[in-house]
Amino acid sequence: MPELTDIANEFIRGEIEEFIERPEERDRLIGLFVAAKPDQQDIAAALVDGDDDVVDRLTQAALGGGTPALEVMDDGLIAGMAIVGVKFRENFIYVPEVLACARAMKAGMAHIEPILSASGIEPYGTVVMGTVKGDLHDIGKNLCIMMLRGSGFEVIDLGVDTSADDFIDAVEEHKPSVLGMSALLTTTMPNMGKTIDAFIDADLRDVVKIMVGGAPVTQEFADDMGADGYGKDAMACVALAKELIGVTARG
Amino acid sequence: MTMTETIAPMTSRERVLAALRRESVDRTPVVNPTSVATVELMDMVDARFPEANREPELMARLAATGHTELGFDSVMPVFSIIQESSALGCKIQWEQKDNWPTVKMGEPIYETPDDIHVPDDLLERPDTQCVLEAIRILRRELGEEVAIIGKTMGPWSQAYHCFGVEPFLLLSLDDPDETKLILQRFKEATIAFGQAQFEAGADAVTLPDHATGDLVSGEYYRRYLQELHHEFAERIPGPIILHICGKTVDRMDSIAQTGMAAFHYDSKNEPAESMAVVDGRISLVGNINNPETLFAKGPAEVKQEVWKNLEAGVQMVGPECAIPLQTPIENLRAIPEAVREWHAAGNRTPTTAA
Repeated sequence: MPELTDIANEFIRGEIEEFIERPEERDRLIGLFVAAKPDQQDIAAALVDGDDDVVDRLTQAALGGGTPALEVMDDGLIAGMAIVGVKFRENFIYVPEVLACARAMKAGMAHIEPILSASGIEPYGTVVMGTVKGDLHDIGKNLCIMMLRGSGFEVIDLGVDTSADDFIDAVEEHKPSVLGMSALLTTTMPNMGKTIDAFIDADLRDVVKIMVGGAPVTQEFADDMGADGYGKDAMACVALAKELIGVTARG
Repeated sequence: MTMTETIAPMTSRERVLAALRRESVDRTPVVNPTSVATVELMDMVDARFPEANREPELMARLAATGHTELGFDSVMPVFSIIQESSALGCKIQWEQKDNWPTVKMGEPIYETPDDIHVPDDLLERPDTQCVLEAIRILRRELGEEVAIIGKTMGPWSQAYHCFGVEPFLLLSLDDPDETKLILQRFKEATIAFGQAQFEAGADAVTLPDHATGDLVSGEYYRRYLQELHHEFAERIPGPIILHICGKTVDRMDSIAQTGMAAFHYDSKNEPAESMAVVDGRISLVGNINNPETLFAKGPAEVKQEVWKNLEAGVQMVGPECAIPLQTPIENLRAIPEAVREWHAAGNRTPTTAA
């Protein structure tokens, strides 16, 4: 059984000790980081610290030194974001800090994505994402998209202010496994239900799983309007997308 | 006062003003610090979005329905949060009858504090003038009977509109001094628009400043906004209702120290816990849930939430935020009904007499 003290990186050890309280999450993260090489732990630490310059530099160095892109992404960037996700969920950090970590992840992914694209690794599936009609907020949606892409999904981003017709057109064109809708305002949340109704009217409700999220959205609201799932944050969004399409591990 | 004192019947306006001062009232007032406009009300009085956001006569006519059709003790003509942003030059999506006007925050107009330019004629621009004229019309039409609530945007929310939410939040982490400079440079606009609305006849102004727990920490509120909000309470000549959506109980103690009259709070915060935190230093108004209750449930569920607030001693009840435009009218009418039923049953809050 790996122990916290087996993790080489002191910053990561401190983060797990201070912020990861649930035993199962603690065990999972300890196992993950003990298995990761020290270089990847350093990338994860810089990401958790929100330092995009260091992530950029270390990612380039790791790839240049021959570490596979998938390993840098999984053991460095995604592993770091796992700590960030828990800290955000538990209110140890808030959106500005998450945005800084996301900026750091983006800096690393800029080097990794072209390699993964060229290597022909099949994505888990396609997800169409958009903020609903009348709502121009996109921070939450963008965080979800970044985490979905980083976790192996192809994502079609419809942006903000997306009408039911635009969602339907995108589903017909891209044939995604999952459709994700976001809303930040209580005034625009009802447009999620209207969009689901439009899919029913168009006889397309059964061709795609629909997940919803956003600060004011709740599981109860998602259930009431007939969504297939609700994700509280970007980490939950990834877990939900995998659950909806039956993914258990990278294949 | 003691529970045995009797309060003479009050007008709606008297009731709201007393509750803002945390004084005794004949019954708990029903107040909307944010919009209660609905599509149904728009059709009823022939004053629809988007015109009702830009033409003073239509804005006033739609706002008046909050009292005449719904039975609230206040009216609130500023249905959206875009008036100052439009006046500052932000791109606005004006939408149609069934949707809200919104600032296109993906196309920010400023990048640095030096870009901020609050024009001398800010209050003469069409979308700020519209609010001032609508308040004058409402005062003329409704006299002293009903409380009129205006709205002036706080600098934090204004920064979201002008800089974009994501760039501004990142800046708040990267450069606290620049962030404070931005807030300082928007400050005078908040004060000037608030003051002008009192001069036009408003009884109170809502001041939205969305430093919500869904986005930033309570420590952020203390670092960036508490002092500014205290300054607003000192310099804006009338009662201010601070509005922050989402989870805020972790910063209510700081908010209660600003000297503002009231805090408009969200259903993510428990009424009794919130009342305990503010401890009589600021009035609370809220917190009937919008998407799940007012929009999607019925009058019975609405009344349950109203009673929960009354039992906690909340000074004014109303929706937690601007309501969805398709909210059924009967659910909104259930709020004043619930207050009357509760008091008729002999129940009392600490500020309502026997």
